[in-house]
Amino acid sequence: MTLRAKLGRIAAALMLAMTALTVRSQGQVLNSGAQTITLTAVLTDSITVALSGNAVNFVLTPGNPNNPGNVGITATTSWTLKPSVGSLNLYAYFSNSASALTDGAGDDIPSADFQISDNAGPFNALTNTVPFGGANAGLQVSSTKIIGTNKSGSRTDSMNFNINLSTLPTLPANTYTGTLTIQAQAL
Amino acid sequence: MKTGKLFRVAAVALGLALATTMASAQALNSGAQAITLNATLAESLTLALSANSVNFTLAAGSATNNGSTPITATTTWVLKPGRTAVGVYAYFASAAAALTDGAGDNIPSSAFFIADNAGPSTALVNTVPFGGALAGLQLANVAITGANKNSSRTDAMAFNINLTGGTLPQLPAATYTGTLNIQAQATP
Repeated sequence: MTLRAKLGRIAAALMLAMTALTVRSQGQVLNSGAQTITLTAVLTDSITVALSGNAVNFVLTPGNPNNPGNVGITATTSWTLKPSVGSLNLYAYFSNSASALTDGAGDDIPSADFQISDNAGPFNALTNTVPFGGANAGLQVSSTKIIGTNKSGSRTDSMNFNINLSTLPTLPANTYTGTLTIQAQAL
Repeated sequence: MKTGKLFRVAAVALGLALATTMASAQALNSGAQAITLNATLAESLTLALSANSVNFTLAAGSATNNGSTPITATTTWVLKPGRTAVGVYAYFASAAAALTDGAGDNIPSSAFFIADNAGPSTALVNTVPFGGALAGLQLANVAITGANKNSSRTDAMAFNINLTGGTLPQLPAATYTGTLNIQAQATP
């Protein structure tokens, strides 16, 4: 065997060995440790009430049962609630049943003579005790049952107003002012 | 020891259940939205008469010349706090010529009498807020209190012309015409 032949065999053997090593190293995967990321997503429960207006005027006629407000107001209630909530109620109320509106001179229009019609329904006086406001000075305008499909939703209540003066025939001439509050509660 | 552990686990579970129930019963409220209410009851004072004409058949020199018909004045008011009185007045524009024939012959207001609500007959000889000096009569005065700021009253007026005074017995035959006004005033 010549030297040239020997060198050729050695080179061939080396190439074979290197190729085998390369193939083996490429076939073995190398993994890092698993790193975790904790995900927390909070959808806060919320209720909002938005009103289409914030003022209503009345031109009163003495002793007249029908003294409608000059404009209706729509309350849009939007909510995102927890699964445990069963109902969502909308309330209208005054802070005091005896003097819903007053002239500041001792002459008052009680909440019993202030009426709201919701979504073209009958007029109802504010004579109930509700979660907000004064005793006997409120009205539950609407109630929405919360089920699986409306835990996030909204509703509108179109309110018309009236002041009944049939029980106040001696009310003196004056300007009577007051604040009606609209508020929702989920329970 | 094993039983004690079980009790502890049960107590913790009960506590968690109670906490969950309490959280569920907590009401969630929206913000309170205010609506400002403004109601105006305008002040008013009106006076309406049951009729607008009265005729007299005069007898020369007679003290009693009654009108053909009484007239009722209905005064209605809705007043602001602070008003203390409503007065009802009858008056002529001129004391000297309450009625005239247009030819210089006059019946003065002092010869014209009104009996209000069957009261005494009284001549129009006072100066009132309306009309001529010494040509009026206050028929009524209503004190306004908390109970009658929104109210009404009626005054049934019967009329008479007395032709006995001064030169009136010499009043020539003619047709005498005049205008009696009835008006109310709330004060102050």
